[in-house]
Amino acid sequence: MSEGNIIEIHNLKKNYDKGSIKALNGIDLEIKKGEFISIMGPSGSGKSTLLNMIGALDRAEEGSIKVADIDLMKETDLSEFRSQEIGFVFQMHNLIPNLTVLENVEIPMYESNLNSEQMRERALELLEAVGLREKAETNPTKLSGGERQRVAIARALVNHPSIILADEPTGALDSKTGDVILKLLKDLHSKEKVTLVMVTHEPYVAKMADRILNVLDGKIKSSS
Amino acid sequence: MLMVKNPFRNKTRAILAIIGIAIGIATIVALGMVTGGLQNSTQSSLKAGSAEISVTKIGSGSFGSSGGTLDESLVNDLKNISGVKDAAGILRVNANISTTSGSSGSFGPMGGLYLSGISRNELNMVGIDSINGSFYAEGDSKEIILGKTAAGNLNKTVGSTINIYGTDFKVTGIFETGNFIQDGGAYVSLSTLQNLTSNNNKVSSIAVKVNPEANSSQVSQSIQNAYPNDLSATTAADQANRINQSLGAIDTASWAISLLAIIIGGVGVINTMVMSVYERTREIGVLKAVGWKNKRILGMILGESVVLTLVAAVVGIIMGIIAVEIILNFMPTSGSFSPVLTIDTLLKAFAVAFLVGILGGLYPAYRASKLAPTEALRYE
Repeated sequence: MSEGNIIEIHNLKKNYDKGSIKALNGIDLEIKKGEFISIMGPSGSGKSTLLNMIGALDRAEEGSIKVADIDLMKETDLSEFRSQEIGFVFQMHNLIPNLTVLENVEIPMYESNLNSEQMRERALELLEAVGLREKAETNPTKLSGGERQRVAIARALVNHPSIILADEPTGALDSKTGDVILKLLKDLHSKEKVTLVMVTHEPYVAKMADRILNVLDGKIKSSS
Repeated sequence: MLMVKNPFRNKTRAILAIIGIAIGIATIVALGMVTGGLQNSTQSSLKAGSAEISVTKIGSGSFGSSGGTLDESLVNDLKNISGVKDAAGILRVNANISTTSGSSGSFGPMGGLYLSGISRNELNMVGIDSINGSFYAEGDSKEIILGKTAAGNLNKTVGSTINIYGTDFKVTGIFETGNFIQDGGAYVSLSTLQNLTSNNNKVSSIAVKVNPEANSSQVSQSIQNAYPNDLSATTAADQANRINQSLGAIDTASWAISLLAIIIGGVGVINTMVMSVYERTREIGVLKAVGWKNKRILGMILGESVVLTLVAAVVGIIMGIIAVEIILNFMPTSGSFSPVLTIDTLLKAFAVAFLVGILGGLYPAYRASKLAPTEALRYE
């Protein structure tokens, strides 16, 4: 892996439906540590599939993909990799409704070696960072859409990941709330020095990134 | 945290699943309590100091109350048989009684008061060593002692009067042996009962105590050999074994019900947990995305299943105890039998519940753990 790169992808291919759908058709990509990357493209272009490959939620059929010095084509325990290196922010916040905000943020730490007190401390620290410490004991169903997404961001950062993968994090929010979330993500990206890879449809959102990748038919068409 | 909270997210479904399992557990507990009570009662009948052999007329029942009488002179004859230390004649009747106010009572094990006549000095032969109050006077007295259960059912205390066959008897004492049949009955002197029932010089059975160095089975055989056409001798141990065999049948039934409870409850739990996993597919995808290992997800779903069934065990145990109490209150033998909830029964209830939880949760847990994260996250 070249020095300074946290993600290296070469000729990555992923098919669905026995090869009839080529979701990724030879992706080549290098992302530097601490970079903020936006991935744009129409629906079905393969941008979310690419995000899932980087996050080790799925495996490719061909090519190579190395993330944080781990070869994801060879690694058997991908859950440990996800737990330690990746933080996901989804379009839908995907919080567990019957747990409190604090408990939701603590969930990724169950695979760590922290005791319950340390878990609580770290979760509260993150809730403080996203401005929701006072809502720690609240049920997520009682929060607004923006607040829920802030909780999801806190959950994504709680294990000190090296990469945050955000799949249209403002897609389900109004533009004003979306801007607040984007600013928060960008601030945390700078403060926590994590690599941020964000899939978006919105050109103005993409422009906030250091680099914009345009994906079409499973290939990167341009990088600017 | 999730393990405890998740099973009750859909309250109606959880309650229905719990009731389904709890009914099986309640049955196990109820049968266990009845068996435990009967076992305790059987053990009480074998207590030290009591007669080891019961002799009745051939063809009569074990309690010798209805199958014919024996000549009282046989009591002394039996004392001469080798190994016999003492023998006491007992006359037993199932007496209809009335209180002094005129109302009648019928509550004994056979529908009336289980009344026995025995010499006051021989009461230790039937396990009555001590008494609250005093024993009845020997001879044709109009005094009676009541078992604790009988006294409770008749609402009698020491000094009360009870009318039997038109004769008033004064209650001089109340005894407790631990045997539910004994404690549901009453004793008067032998001659009193003989006179009252026109059974002069007759007894229903003879209680035989053997010498410490003698073997009760051999003595029992000697008695039968001496009177092959007239007497039947049964040792207390034989009687207890016979009762224990019956209890064994109840125990077998209890295990069969446990098995049914496991199958029916297991299917219910599978259904509940499969639905629960199905509804939470996306959530399980999130847990995988944040790094939860398959075995943690497997453990979580299995844990939820076990939590559900252990709650059902607690509900079932309470239901079983209440059911036994209610049923015994409506039975004619009310109060004469004390059900016993043993640790064994409780452990069995929890073990069955745990097993149902594990077996019922296994498939849904496996299914959840094997969900592909991307598919789970796409689930609407």
